[in-house]
Amino acid sequence: MSDRYDGSQPDLERELARYLAERRLTRRTLLELIANVGAVAALAPIVAACTGAAASASPSQVSTATPIPPSSAPSATPVATATPQPTPVPTPESELFIYNWDGYIGDKTQSDFEAKYGIKVKYDKFPDASTQITKIRSDLKGGGYDLTYPASTDIGPLSRDGVISALDHSLLPNLKNLGPTWVDPDYDKGNKFSVPNYWWTTGIAWNPAKVKEDITSWASLWDPRYTGKLGMLDDLQEVFAAGGFRLSLPANTTQDTDLDAILALLKTQKPLLRKYTQDDIGDFTGGQLWMTQAWSGDWVQMTYDPGSANAKYVIPSEGAVRGSDTMVVLSGAKHPIAAHLWIDFNLDAKVSAANSNFIGYMGPNAAAQAFIDPAILGNPNLNPDAGVYSGLAELVTLEGTDLSKYTSRWIELTS
Amino acid sequence: MDRAHELAPAVGGRARPFRARLTGGLLVLPGVGWLLAFFLAPLLIIFVVSFGSNDTTGHVVLNDLGFRNYIEATKPEFLPAFANSVRYSFLTTILSLAIGYPIAFWISRHGGRHKILLLILVMLPFWTSYLIRTYAWMIILRDNGVANSILMGLGITSDPIPFLNTDFSVVLGMTYGFLPFAILPLYVSIDRLDDELVKAGRDLYASGRGVFLHVVLPLTMPGIIAASILTFIPAMGDYVTPDLLGGAQTSTIAKVVQVLFTSGRDWPYGSALGFMLMVVTLGGTLLAIRALRQETFG
Repeated sequence: MSDRYDGSQPDLERELARYLAERRLTRRTLLELIANVGAVAALAPIVAACTGAAASASPSQVSTATPIPPSSAPSATPVATATPQPTPVPTPESELFIYNWDGYIGDKTQSDFEAKYGIKVKYDKFPDASTQITKIRSDLKGGGYDLTYPASTDIGPLSRDGVISALDHSLLPNLKNLGPTWVDPDYDKGNKFSVPNYWWTTGIAWNPAKVKEDITSWASLWDPRYTGKLGMLDDLQEVFAAGGFRLSLPANTTQDTDLDAILALLKTQKPLLRKYTQDDIGDFTGGQLWMTQAWSGDWVQMTYDPGSANAKYVIPSEGAVRGSDTMVVLSGAKHPIAAHLWIDFNLDAKVSAANSNFIGYMGPNAAAQAFIDPAILGNPNLNPDAGVYSGLAELVTLEGTDLSKYTSRWIELTS
Repeated sequence: MDRAHELAPAVGGRARPFRARLTGGLLVLPGVGWLLAFFLAPLLIIFVVSFGSNDTTGHVVLNDLGFRNYIEATKPEFLPAFANSVRYSFLTTILSLAIGYPIAFWISRHGGRHKILLLILVMLPFWTSYLIRTYAWMIILRDNGVANSILMGLGITSDPIPFLNTDFSVVLGMTYGFLPFAILPLYVSIDRLDDELVKAGRDLYASGRGVFLHVVLPLTMPGIIAASILTFIPAMGDYVTPDLLGGAQTSTIAKVVQVLFTSGRDWPYGSALGFMLMVVTLGGTLLAIRALRQETFG
């Protein structure tokens, strides 16, 4: 795996990774040293040990490096910019600005990270993915945040436009924990810009006390018996995908005839709906929704509510969307080293498992499997077998006229 | 009367010494600067962007300015959402006036030495974020929420009444949110009302209703107009309340603009729609005020 990114300098990279692993254990001592003797003196031996490799990992390099298109040689930049002048070895910054969903990490993840590294985490939350993307794109540098969790489908456009910066894999020794299908994903070859975080499915959650039948099909969300108690996600791509599955149309279709057919079908559903919901959990546990399109992890969180402990979930037979998301460092990050430390911390087998156990989404972390709750691991709706998994569709990022086709129809549907 | 007195020096404005005029100019400078930087400049940017277009990657480009976004924005697809917005804003304004006027009247006439305290109570909700207060309404109104628990506990209904995600919850939330904005201007105009004029009306054998319709109402009309503006216009642009308390059947035009800016990533189109909404709202409100004034003052 490492050969892919290391290019011509595998030894230096490994050297630095080892140094960093050690440094983490003795970070406090190192900081005290810096405070006492001054940064240059404290870092001198380490700089000497790492020589050229240090240059490729300097904080300024990480934050200002222009993302390299996947086609060019990954090793080109470090070689070209390595100067004889010793650059300071990365010292984590004292703060970290994270932009993420609410309730998206284990309940102790943040405090454990802060305690371990002495880094103060500022954790802002966004209500939906479009708000997230709009904000980090506002200045094309991340809107002031260091790290965020975009969907895997956003990685292509975000890296192309320089919103996220290439990761320094030498700072991420725990990348070794990733499962084999996640080390070279199609959306980001070699995990150059992103580290996979969770994956999930979009299916149907229902309340068996009110809906006394086994749900297997998207058609149930068109069932007039439940008028006013049905919900769809407030996400145009997810809603159009669900409509498309009913019509056996490919997910992500951009054919006008396909989209018109889906729109016509969705228009027959709208009068039955209570809400296009941004909060499928709250609207379900609040009793407004008896049956709703839902993300698999949201269903798990629904069951945490005493009144909805029996909630059920299914991956519908016509097909369903599978999604995954990632951790990325934004190109305007003022605390890139701390951001890398956060990513590596969350790649730790136990931390990753704690996150998964909290939210109910499976992670791509192979080493974490041993620590994941058997109830999640053994649940075919959360962790479908390979046959079901390979049949699931992944949404792509829509842009330009393709996006307009969806947006105009979405507005026509919802307004 | 008072106003005529205030205006007196301005009539002889030319005679005003240069220094006084300079001081006046300096005093308004911060306000003018603020408005230029934080009101006019963003508005201007949106105005310019509304004539632009998106390139394939979703970035705004301004090399080919035109009216295409405005033509798009007049599509009939928006009409249901626009009609909803007008309906909600109108109902909110009427309800705010109907509830706010008696409250303002009572505080002014019967508040006595507690007037200030009562006005502070009116403004008390502002001490908590509007978003949190709206979430509180969700807890009250949801199907297994406070209101339904009480109704079902009393045996008034066996199945929960769907309050949330309906026209009812949207209008309720907006009226709740904008009521203080109506009460304050109403209070000011009612408090200024000269009691002697009311007495004079009674002396001339007007009934209680007659005095209210022909004396009190016309004299407090400036407050009513101000209250209407302060509720109707923000209500037209409000998207938080309909978004949180509304549902699939309660779309509003502000939500459409939000979709264009976020999911749609089409800022030019969203700007054009937002700008048109602003012009229509302003124009409509001004016409309504004119009609209202003519109705009252003849």
